[in-house]
Amino acid sequence: MTSEIPIIMMRDIDYIYPNGTEALKKINLNISKGELVGIMGKNGAGKTSLIRTLNGLIKPTQGNIYIENENISSKSIANLSEKVGIIFQNPFHQLFANSVEDEIKFSLKSISLDKEKIQIRTDHILNQFDLEKYRTRSPLNLSGGESKKLAIASIICRDPDIIVFDEPTLGQDAKEIEFFINLIKNERKRSKTIIIITHNIEFAYEYLPRTILMADGQIIADGPTKEVLNNEFLISNTSLVLPQIQQFYFALLEQGFQEVVDKMSKTEMINYLRNILKKRYSKI
Amino acid sequence: MSLEFLNAFKFMKKKTFVHNLDPRVKLLFSIIYTISAMLFVEIIPLLLIFLSLIPIVLYGKLFKQWIKSVRGLSILILFIILLNTLFISLSFAIAMILRIYIMVSAFSIFFLTVDPNDLALSLISMKLPYEFAFSFSLAFRFVPTIANEAQNILDAQQSRGYELQKKGLINQIKNLFPLLIPLIICSIKRAFNVAEALESRAFGCRKTRTFYYNIRYSIKDWIFTLYLFLFLAFIIFIRIQFNILPNFLMWSLPV
Repeated sequence: MTSEIPIIMMRDIDYIYPNGTEALKKINLNISKGELVGIMGKNGAGKTSLIRTLNGLIKPTQGNIYIENENISSKSIANLSEKVGIIFQNPFHQLFANSVEDEIKFSLKSISLDKEKIQIRTDHILNQFDLEKYRTRSPLNLSGGESKKLAIASIICRDPDIIVFDEPTLGQDAKEIEFFINLIKNERKRSKTIIIITHNIEFAYEYLPRTILMADGQIIADGPTKEVLNNEFLISNTSLVLPQIQQFYFALLEQGFQEVVDKMSKTEMINYLRNILKKRYSKI
Repeated sequence: MSLEFLNAFKFMKKKTFVHNLDPRVKLLFSIIYTISAMLFVEIIPLLLIFLSLIPIVLYGKLFKQWIKSVRGLSILILFIILLNTLFISLSFAIAMILRIYIMVSAFSIFFLTVDPNDLALSLISMKLPYEFAFSFSLAFRFVPTIANEAQNILDAQQSRGYELQKKGLINQIKNLFPLLIPLIICSIKRAFNVAEALESRAFGCRKTRTFYYNIRYSIKDWIFTLYLFLFLAFIIFIRIQFNILPNFLMWSLPV
């Protein structure tokens, strides 16, 4: 699924907002095609500014961004949005059409498709997102979770190569998160590059292979999620907490369970506990 | 496209003479300049009134933000030039542009230099019921929030291929719906949330209330008020005696 060729390359990116706030400082980053990457950090760390540079919503004050080896500095937002689809936090910032169907069609109208193809793709995406039953309903009458689904659908239908999610699990119930997890699995099978901004440490620990940690407009760590999120020093600098499994590991260690191994996955921890219980009950 | 110009109406704390004036004086200032602008349809008097605003802008260290508000009007200005030149005259179009610039600048100075909390206090001291004063200051406080939200909506729509600038007037008007509808919906939702939050904190349960601090009219406020009334009197005098004043005041572009 992942190829070694970087689809996104950022070189010495700086961004200063008009009010003088330095949002990004010397960002250097490579993301390969088909990768699934998480971006974490406390509020104001520069996560959203970073993703906004990807489709030209903000132009770096300094440095260059390359998408598929092409410098994007002279490209328009409309042009870039065909390659990079960003799904923002608040779905109500983009829903306006008379019906759910029209909302999807609005997104498709800006790419060169004829009427018939627009209809086919709309039908397909409504089915994929289980929104068929709301086809004629106003998007403003959907629940929070459904409207988020619709916002995601209205970007995915454009079939961008890079999909960026800003806090996708925020305010979502367990079933909706499960739907989202299946969605990213499917999109990765289609070699899509996925970037997720999240504060949900458990979600990141479980599903994201690579995590970029940001603080004060800089990347302070970039590597395998289990390495990054189990690093107490980094975590304390970014207003995050250790994943529950790592906290549990420390608790077990404190109670004298010496054989417990650092940075266990959920399955490894379950197996470890199962073995301990087996030993204990066999003694009784 | 950026909606950055809406920040030209966002309060910024600074220590200048203009910032330190009483909010009531600044409200009076905006009203008097608006009245003055309404009294003329000739270019020169309007230009002079407009120029008289510049020292205040410079003295309040507001130049950058003020330029943003002036630049933000460019589309409206284009419409005014087009319609007035077509149906009346170019001189009238320029006069109307100056009139709008005066009004926007006066209120931009007001919004940039008045703390929303002080505004509520000053309105209450002008015997306005607390609920109205609070609503007014709340509306005022939400200007930058709405500006921010408008920018987020624009970003979200652009991320799915929406282009604001399209050819043709009808297309441009139609094109505003993807921005305006989410903005209105979000504003209504926020209004309900704020109302609930206020009620849950017992807003309005007593008719009178106390304040953490009070505002007072100082000598510099009185001096500035005097200047404003003299300015208004002078403007009215010119308006009434317009025919006996030098001809250059009535100058207009040759038709």
